[in-house]
Amino acid sequence: MNLLPDTYHIQQTFSTYCRTGEKVKLPGVAPHRLKHYRQLVFNMIHDTMENAFPIAFKHIPTAKWNKMVKEFFSKHACQSYQVWKLPLEFYTYAVAHNWEDTYSIPFLNDLLAFEWAEMEVYNMEDIPAPAYSLSGNWLDTPLVLNPEHRLLSFHYPVHLVAKPKDILKNKGVYFVLLFRHPETGHVEFTDLSPWLAFLTEQLTSGITVRDILEYAPQLNITDTGTLEQDTLAFLKHMQQLHFVLGFQQ
Amino acid sequence: MVGVGFRREFAEEMISGEHIRPDFIEFAPENWMNIGGYWKKVLHRVVEKYPVLCHGLSLSIGSPEALDKSFLQYVKTFLREYNVQIYSEHLSYSKCDNAHLYDLLPIPFRMDAVKHIAGRIQQVQDYLQRPLVMEIVSYYTPVAAEMSEVDFINEVVKQSGCQLLLDVNNIYVNAFNHQYDAKAFIQQLPLSKVAYIHMAGHEQVAPDLIIDTHGEPIIDPVYDLFEWTIQHLQPVPVLLERDFNIPEMAELQGELTRLKNICHKQWKRKDELVA
Repeated sequence: MNLLPDTYHIQQTFSTYCRTGEKVKLPGVAPHRLKHYRQLVFNMIHDTMENAFPIAFKHIPTAKWNKMVKEFFSKHACQSYQVWKLPLEFYTYAVAHNWEDTYSIPFLNDLLAFEWAEMEVYNMEDIPAPAYSLSGNWLDTPLVLNPEHRLLSFHYPVHLVAKPKDILKNKGVYFVLLFRHPETGHVEFTDLSPWLAFLTEQLTSGITVRDILEYAPQLNITDTGTLEQDTLAFLKHMQQLHFVLGFQQ
Repeated sequence: MVGVGFRREFAEEMISGEHIRPDFIEFAPENWMNIGGYWKKVLHRVVEKYPVLCHGLSLSIGSPEALDKSFLQYVKTFLREYNVQIYSEHLSYSKCDNAHLYDLLPIPFRMDAVKHIAGRIQQVQDYLQRPLVMEIVSYYTPVAAEMSEVDFINEVVKQSGCQLLLDVNNIYVNAFNHQYDAKAFIQQLPLSKVAYIHMAGHEQVAPDLIIDTHGEPIIDPVYDLFEWTIQHLQPVPVLLERDFNIPEMAELQGELTRLKNICHKQWKRKDELVA
């Protein structure tokens, strides 16, 4: 490296100021001009987070949200060279630093995870689906699912309820499936019961519906006589939505 | 050739070509790498229709630390996949202490920085097997400068062998902000190395400060500087950048047409091939 320690230090000081906004002394720099760099850099980060997490931004008081974004950007070394992936780093930072407690928002992790997953599934690289046939036996032929999906579990119904008060009142166990429509590219999401979440997870491993149904009693699922019928109805509905693509050849 | 920066906000209009018809498009690889779904389909449609030039954001040629080799690998693959004719980047830094900042920070105009950057440009050029076209960026304050801006740029070009992206609006902005003569500045540049021109609008935020926003139409004095500048250059591609406050396509097409008319007038006069 040809850079002298002094020049290196000056560049570090300048960039640290842009990240933190804390006063620095830099030779030859006009302080009233320097502040524009902090504004430009911080506005970019703030806008990126607001656009990625519109529901969180709406629910969280502005002062609290600004504090979060400031803390994240000043203390975290942003790794992604693609700015659209930065919200994932924001979300993982929130989890790692226990922001649910720090900011007294018990559903924060779930909400950030949900909003990030929507963005990720929308933008993620194309994943080719295995070859499939449109005809087969729903019970005995392994199904081919749309590979462009995420299955998430939450403690709060952030995907179902809008108002924070209502979200908090309904703490429980929730599952949500997000997938990308193969033609339009739109992201669809659907709330799943624990049984349907289990089913979806097992289907991705290539297990047949019949084998999964046989496992139901071990999950303490009471078969009222309609479990098979309801399960198949769900899968047929998901085929119409382009999540179930067809049957393995 | 006069092109326009390709943005998602007007992707469909660009593909239809009904209200706007640039000669080429430019986009940042970082905004389109590793993307699938709807936008990948759009990208494929637009690159079938227009020649592509790329203008990077995250190379951070002025960073104190080592180049990101895995990023460069992605860039190389991307440029090849989309048959990109020119790859340009910024003479600035946007990463320090292993943290991206997603904006263009000014490099200290110093000789050790020149050597450092020239070496990095050569590494990139060797790896990509193509010349790197470096943009002279707008800046709002010099930082610990030990040499003039124009000397700094000349030395970087001389020592690295890179080409130049002359953003005429940036020169106008810098000349205003730092109170120098834009034409005198341009005349001191190695103009034979200019491979590409950018044009854009800006916003004056204080009596003595302009911010390079790309959010307004190009103003007349910048058109005038452009017309003066290209009389000193061989024909090169010219790009209109508009990143915010996107107007109706007819307005953008109006700016493209005006740029094209200036190119025809000045470069045809010299019997140069314009398109």
